[in-house]
Amino acid sequence: MPHIAALLRVARRLTFDIASAEDLVQETMLLAWRGFRGFQSGTNARAWLFRIMFNAFHGAVRRESRLPDAPPSIVRPMLQEAVEIAEALEALPLEQRGVLLLCVVEGFTCREAAGILDMPIGTVMSRLSRAREELRRSLKPLVKAVYR
Amino acid sequence: MTDDELDQRIRAAVLSDEPDTSRVAAAVRTQIQTQARHVPGWAVAAAAVIAMIAASAFSYRTFVKEQATPLLCVAAAQDHQREIVDGSPRQWLTDLAAIDSLAQKQGVPASAISALGTTGFTLERGRLCFLRKQIYLHLVYTKDGSEYSVYLRPRSSEPLGDAVREAKVGPEDTAYFRSHRLTAVFVALQPQAPDVLAFARAGLHSLTVADL
Repeated sequence: MPHIAALLRVARRLTFDIASAEDLVQETMLLAWRGFRGFQSGTNARAWLFRIMFNAFHGAVRRESRLPDAPPSIVRPMLQEAVEIAEALEALPLEQRGVLLLCVVEGFTCREAAGILDMPIGTVMSRLSRAREELRRSLKPLVKAVYR
Repeated sequence: MTDDELDQRIRAAVLSDEPDTSRVAAAVRTQIQTQARHVPGWAVAAAAVIAMIAASAFSYRTFVKEQATPLLCVAAAQDHQREIVDGSPRQWLTDLAAIDSLAQKQGVPASAISALGTTGFTLERGRLCFLRKQIYLHLVYTKDGSEYSVYLRPRSSEPLGDAVREAKVGPEDTAYFRSHRLTAVFVALQPQAPDVLAFARAGLHSLTVADL
């Protein structure tokens, strides 16, 4: 199924829980299937799927009236670098994390991310900027010892 | 750290995590099949078209793509060109114990490095790299003054086939296979390093002997 890996990758970092992430992606794909008539041919299918997923996620958060807790290690990165970045991402506020995942990891433009998240492009840009500042503060420089 | 450098670090770390989508995909298919019995004909037709496209893509990946140059080889050749031929200023491990340790952390047994060392090629250095969003152990071997790259990771689902095959990617020759436990791609610039296919065949033999 196209884009399902990208959806799951982002969902895991929104929900902090593998089972919840899989439920969210499953719901997304079913909503997409049921609402396929609403998809405009020739537009960005990937952005459309992400929009459905973020709407479903925010709907679930509103229903539960709280954000998901952040337990340690939802992923098992293989590199120390990846461990540090996973922890830094988990520490970001949800609204910044979502923007960062869409723009930096999934490669959407700020305009596309604004469409997915249904917010002004200026808000996306300021959240992205704040997210980068937070990460810059929390990430250490790359270790250069041991290497030649 | 610039925005670009920061973005690159984040992207590399997150994309190194390849989620297992099989459970979700299976659940979605099951639910669609169940619900399709209760939906209008147009939706059933749409699902059928999607299924046909998916089946075509699967057939292409399984039966056609394996015959074409694997994208993994293209990525490996590009990496070899950039890192070895053009000599990007990267940090490499040169100590064998440190390389073994790095390999084991990636699920590549140190015995695989020992096995490749019996092929007549000399290990010079190693580091980690990303090929197609996955982490590979990149080892550089030399023979007769020429450099050969070997990219290793635990056996993956890349459609490579289990026998040694070769593919030419621009000025590089690549040879590739999946052993019992590893996925391996060998790369060298032509015509300076002509033994890449022989290296890969010897590598597969020594890995097989070592039950890898």
